Amino acid sequence: MARVVLKDVKKIYPGNVEVVHKFNLDIKDKEFIVFVGPSGCGKSTTLRMVAGLEEISAGTVEIDGEVVNDLQPKDRHISMVFQNYALYPHLTVYENMAFPLRLDKKERVMELSDSEKEDAKKQIDALEAQAKASPDKAEKLLKKADKLKDEIENGRKQKGYTNDQIYERVTSAAKVLGITQYLTRKPKALSGGQRQRVAIGRAMVKDCKVFLMDEPLSNLDAKLRNQMRAEIILLRKRINTTFIYVTHDQTEAMTLGDRIVCLKDGYIMQVGSPSELFDMPANLFVAQFIGAPMMNTAECELLKEGAKYYVNPFGHKLVVDGEKAKALKDRGVESRKIILGVRPEHIQLAKKGSANSIPVEILVNEMMGSEYHLHVQTEDGTKLVVRIPTINLSEEERTHMVMGEKINIVFEGKAMHFFDPENERNLLVDEIYGPEAMQLELEAEAKAKANAEANEVPVEDPVPAEEEKAEEPKVEEPQVDIQEQEK
Amino acid sequence: MAAEKHSMSMSKKKTIVNTISYIVLGLISVIWILPFVFLLLKSFDIGNTGVTKNFIPSAWGFDNYAYLFSSDCNFLQWYFNTFIIALFVCVIQTVMQFMMAYTLSRFRFKLRKPLMNIMLVLGMFPGFLTMIVLYQILKTIGLTGDNAVPGLILVYVASSGMGYYVIKGFLDTLPKSLDEAALVDGANRMQIFVKVIIPLCKPILIYTVLTSFMGPWGDFVFAYTVSLGSQAGMNVAAGLNSWLSPANIGSHFTHFCAGGVIVAIPVMILFLFLQKYYVEGVTGGAVKG
Repeated sequence: MARVVLKDVKKIYPGNVEVVHKFNLDIKDKEFIVFVGPSGCGKSTTLRMVAGLEEISAGTVEIDGEVVNDLQPKDRHISMVFQNYALYPHLTVYENMAFPLRLDKKERVMELSDSEKEDAKKQIDALEAQAKASPDKAEKLLKKADKLKDEIENGRKQKGYTNDQIYERVTSAAKVLGITQYLTRKPKALSGGQRQRVAIGRAMVKDCKVFLMDEPLSNLDAKLRNQMRAEIILLRKRINTTFIYVTHDQTEAMTLGDRIVCLKDGYIMQVGSPSELFDMPANLFVAQFIGAPMMNTAECELLKEGAKYYVNPFGHKLVVDGEKAKALKDRGVESRKIILGVRPEHIQLAKKGSANSIPVEILVNEMMGSEYHLHVQTEDGTKLVVRIPTINLSEEERTHMVMGEKINIVFEGKAMHFFDPENERNLLVDEIYGPEAMQLELEAEAKAKANAEANEVPVEDPVPAEEEKAEEPKVEEPQVDIQEQEK
Repeated sequence: MAAEKHSMSMSKKKTIVNTISYIVLGLISVIWILPFVFLLLKSFDIGNTGVTKNFIPSAWGFDNYAYLFSSDCNFLQWYFNTFIIALFVCVIQTVMQFMMAYTLSRFRFKLRKPLMNIMLVLGMFPGFLTMIVLYQILKTIGLTGDNAVPGLILVYVASSGMGYYVIKGFLDTLPKSLDEAALVDGANRMQIFVKVIIPLCKPILIYTVLTSFMGPWGDFVFAYTVSLGSQAGMNVAAGLNSWLSPANIGSHFTHFCAGGVIVAIPVMILFLFLQKYYVEGVTGGAVKG
């Protein structure tokens, strides 16, 4: 249970290859945070920096208020589940799970279990009886008895764990994960799903402040993945600690995360709750990465005519209504070029000639069972994907959902997303992410530095240096603001 | 019909190819095994202790073996020397090679690649090129002649780190995430090495133990040079060789053969004992597979 704070964290590989740029994130206690992004976006690298498996090139990582940059992984109070399980093949499942406990030699005070308490009580009685029988040794014996009494009340000091304690922890974790019957087996005798459970079990038995998971489900087949995903949600409730979960699968990110950090090329592209990322993507990248199939986009113009807004994609003039129109108005957006985004699931079938309807031709029909994924082409050649639930379609309508057929589609104003074609930012989102945010920050820093230098007194004096320091937090204000809003 | 004809010719062809292969292989094995059989037979020949042309002994007996263990012969001393050398070298070399291989496989440090290249190039020079120099060095520090045993151990062990290639090749196939998992679990590097890596390296460990034992066990050139005629410092190879001098060969040839057989025995036992680990892989189930 701990807050994890990443401040200006950078990863620079030899040859000056920067793969993570000024990563700033405040992970709250007991929060489930998901890093999601395409491969090579730096999500695993960032996680490994938190774990201590990768050196932090610049910036700091704090766990529970302590800067852990120079701490060994074992001293960071973390547990980690690896993508390829990383079970020790020569050890049984039990020994695999007991491994971290056996290595732990820290001194700690452990409360006695009921059976231990009873044993201690019996010992006390015996000692007291002995003391009565032989008065010359009484002092020593009574001291021993007092010590035992103290242990019953306040717990026993010990280094590491006893075998009984290890047994108790391992078996209770195995019970939770349903792998009790496999405890004596070696990992090679287990299926992929069972191995992953063991890996999770090994991470669970330890007392940890942060639970790290590096694509734990990506080696499982689709069915098992869904099952394990549900189990991770349950596990999270049970363990109730801070989770950092890395995945490239946006479904996992959406279903598991309290907050999602969407990454690209080592930059944070957006931080927010799953619904924020889905409903209000800050930029085109997030819009297209979150949601499957990908959001449809079309370059067109946003037109302001009087109090009303219109867009003109595929040669059709569509009215923007509802909340989106209001939001545009509130921001005083004028007529301009935009990239219009519409999610496939927000497009519906329409009757021919109905208002705002767009005629399209079906190129490919993917039957997904509960829905069709129609790949269609508009009259001006733009390709779109449309998700149509099959349940509302009549037999007759279904027969029309074939290649080459002409259908009509429609989408409402509230389903539209407007992006700036130049910087790909959402016109309705204030926060700035990615390279642009870093550029702004650097500029602000440079400006502050210049200011500080201008103010510098030419006489040798420690004050200017302090001034400079004092300026720094101010410079970071925009970044802090963003984080505040994220919360 | 055509198919049948075709299949018949196929099987005929196969028979011919097989026959030829077996004849060639048989010939090769006869050539290969003949010296061993000769050595074995000669070791039981008590008719004549010198070199004779007859393949089958004229008289059979264990006298040659008895001579080896009798007090007028230094064989036991040589055998003991060899065993001590091989044992020490085996242990030290295995440890050094494993540590070297683990370091080069798992750590990234400056000059790692150049170091590996230098060792590769150095390893290409035949060992006996440095023999004279090594002899002079050992002579200076007094580890030749009667003191050849520690001297030889030093020579064999000195460059042992360079033989890390095979082990590194094996370690590279063990997933790094095992090391990382152990690091997170609270192990230090030494614990990872001992508790995780070594148990997984059984096949390659056996291989290393065998090869590092075999090297000094069968070495002749260095042992001969460093012991330089001292009976107390010789290993078996150098000792047995002394029986092949023109002065000794007439009376000691069959003793030499018996000695040869006894030298082969421990190695054979070692191989038979360890061969099942040789082939057995133990990494199953570590990672997705």
